[in-house]
Amino acid sequence: MKPVAFAYVRPTTLDDAIDELAAAAGSGKILAGGQSLLPVLAMRLSRPGTLVDINAVAGLDGIDRAQETLRIGATVTQRQAERDRVAAAVPLLGLALPFVGHRELRSRGTVCGSLAHADPGAELPAVASCLGATLEIAGPTGRRSVPAADFFAGAMTTTVGPDEIVVAVNFPVAAAGEGFGFAEIARRHGDFALAGVVSRVRSAQGQVLDATITGFGVSDRPVTRDVTGLVASAAEKTDSEAALRAGTDDLAREVVNTVGDGHGSRAYRRRLFAVLAARELARALRRSRAGQS
Amino acid sequence: MTTGQPAVKIAADALVEVRFTVNGSPVTVTVPTRMHLADALRNSLGLTGTHLGCEHGVCGMCTVLVDGDAARSCLILAVQAEGTEVVTVEGLGTPDEQHPLQRAFSHHHALQCGFCTPGFLLSSYDLLARGGVDPDTLPAELSGVLCRCTGYRGILAAVADVARAYPDGVPAPGNCTARTIVGRGGTGGGSVAGTGSSAPSPEIDAEAARVPEAIQRPTGTPTVTVAVARELSSPVQDVWAVLNDVERLARCLPGAVLTATLGADTYRGRVAVGLGPIRLAFDGLARVTVRDVADHRLELLARGADTGGNRTTAEIVLRADPIAAGGTRLHADARVFLSGRIAQFGRALAGDVSQRLFEQFAEAVDETARSGSTPPPTAGASPLAIGAGVARAAFRRRLATLRHAVRTRFRL
Ligand SMILES: Cc1cc2nc3c(=O)[nH]c(=O)nc-3n(C[C@H](O)[C@H](O)[C@H](O)COP(=O)(O)OP(=O)(O)OC[C@H]3O[C@@H](n4cnc5c(N)ncnc54)[C@H](O)[C@@H]3O)c2cc1C
Ligand code: FES
Ligand code: FES
Repeated sequence: MKPVAFAYVRPTTLDDAIDELAAAAGSGKILAGGQSLLPVLAMRLSRPGTLVDINAVAGLDGIDRAQETLRIGATVTQRQAERDRVAAAVPLLGLALPFVGHRELRSRGTVCGSLAHADPGAELPAVASCLGATLEIAGPTGRRSVPAADFFAGAMTTTVGPDEIVVAVNFPVAAAGEGFGFAEIARRHGDFALAGVVSRVRSAQGQVLDATITGFGVSDRPVTRDVTGLVASAAEKTDSEAALRAGTDDLAREVVNTVGDGHGSRAYRRRLFAVLAARELARALRRSRAGQS
Repeated sequence: MTTGQPAVKIAADALVEVRFTVNGSPVTVTVPTRMHLADALRNSLGLTGTHLGCEHGVCGMCTVLVDGDAARSCLILAVQAEGTEVVTVEGLGTPDEQHPLQRAFSHHHALQCGFCTPGFLLSSYDLLARGGVDPDTLPAELSGVLCRCTGYRGILAAVADVARAYPDGVPAPGNCTARTIVGRGGTGGGSVAGTGSSAPSPEIDAEAARVPEAIQRPTGTPTVTVAVARELSSPVQDVWAVLNDVERLARCLPGAVLTATLGADTYRGRVAVGLGPIRLAFDGLARVTVRDVADHRLELLARGADTGGNRTTAEIVLRADPIAAGGTRLHADARVFLSGRIAQFGRALAGDVSQRLFEQFAEAVDETARSGSTPPPTAGASPLAIGAGVARAAFRRRLATLRHAVRTRFRL
């Protein structure tokens, strides 16, 4: 399958990239890793007039730690983030990245491209959502900062305008007493998840301070809920996973609203979510208490 | 990572020249923006070891190394390859010296039809390159390539074996030395830097562009190695007299015509080869590099190209040794390098053609030496005859292979 012909531009500065998108007047598409865009073009599901390749744009390739934030630039590949020791400051990235497609895709696919693509079954949007990451967006009128909660607007839909570029994402680094969990069920390793969860629990002196769960593959976008109360009460039980399980059944009914498909009905995905959420919250709790993140 | 690539703007209907390195050789391809890297490798450079299955990222057949990391070449535009280093399965090892992964795949029967094998080899190379792989993770780590034949067990066993043998990382690809020739001329074609000619633009007269300007000694592994020895009835001085006279020598080579004598022992000519429905006419240059009168040895370098983007370079050594009863043993040794679509015929067929060509050449030399006369330009077997002979031999061999395959498959 071959894409229809398109113009190709490769700017080397951010301003030029923004100008190129503006010049394309809505028919331009940013090309980052191309691991989602090129299949779409090959299947002729999209026929953009111009591809704006941002890989040569200076200043978008950094992984930088500034105090409590890890900033990942737009052209950093998923595999670079996976290998980078600085990125280890955000343990959830280390847990989730091996599940993003396959190695061969992660060597090209970018962290920001995955967020911008916003597939409902994708791992990284869920991580960004669970951690409350912030996206930096540049456009013709300047820069703005958008929290993950306001970024994902639906299946493969974000609040980024057609002439805007996600230049970086900022993840909060793991704090003391924070523990995390990640799990997904996919038909094959590397496929988008039927259902998956990302969990985070922070505790101090055995007390649960706050807890979050995010589901993906269960709705048209990542769904994040504060579950501090549930985790705090379960933490007092000897079998906290069993205690959590009662609560996650209710949660599943609320957050899993996908209609389901041939690979898994809504009921099946609710069950997956409920089981995985209890398991991964319990794991995050254990890690948080053991100081392991 | 900022690629450091130069800024470009290419219109949808324009072609773009892209320079990168493939298996150690710098190449230039001229491609439309929508062409993916796999098509550039296969169609422009004749490197058909990179396979295409789905062309949308799912099957992994097209996996190559880009700047050291495995990647889907169907999900990279050729224009994005600017400045990168690409390694394809052709660069992994040579037929005589395979990469440990190739040997392990063979040993463990990790392939049946072989369609997925290039993808698996490069994916597993990437996995094992840095060492430290936990064998339990292999099924997940190798999930990026699909195989419809083997059931994966042989593949997993082969990769696990190599992982154990090289805990600190597998040896680097073994066939990535800079080569003199790769590529096809003309629109959408490729060429190699260092040969003095860049990719011809479509306006350039195709004829002028394809005839090589200079000959360089080829490096790397030849596509075909020919070693023919023939006992001739003529005495060694007579045979040497033919070898030493390029005009007569050329007429002994089936299908060859000498078109110009350029000085410095360099000649321009044309060689026609026919093979079944295939007709190839190579225009090229030949240069005599050694004339050793005492040893009766002649060494030549030849280089040719045809209109279809096929290229060949050959290093030829001809030697005449006296034997008992006044005869001569004529040795013809050649290292032949092929690229373009002819390279796809594989070593066996190309080898057959070259072998047959040299055998007929030896007979013609004997005939010329005996008669003392200059054979007419069409002397020697017609290219068609070579083709028919080779095709028959190849057909017989295929039939034998097929019979063998059927027997082993069904245990007959
Ligand atoms: C077989 C297969 C399996 C996969 N499995 C998974 C999986 O399990 N989980 C998963 O998460 N992903 C998966 N993917 C997708 C892959 O991870 C992509 O890398 C990712 O979704 C997109 O990143 P990219 O850099 O390749 O973006 P591209 O393909 O280049 O772009 C994707 C979209 O985002 C836009 N975009 C990209 N970067 C920016 C930016 N900086 N600013 C604004 N817009 C931008 C593009 O215009 C385009 O519309 C899979 C892909 C394939 C082919
Ligand atoms: S051909 Fe590239 S992944 Fe299938
Ligand atoms: S050997 Fe046939 S697809 Fe793998």
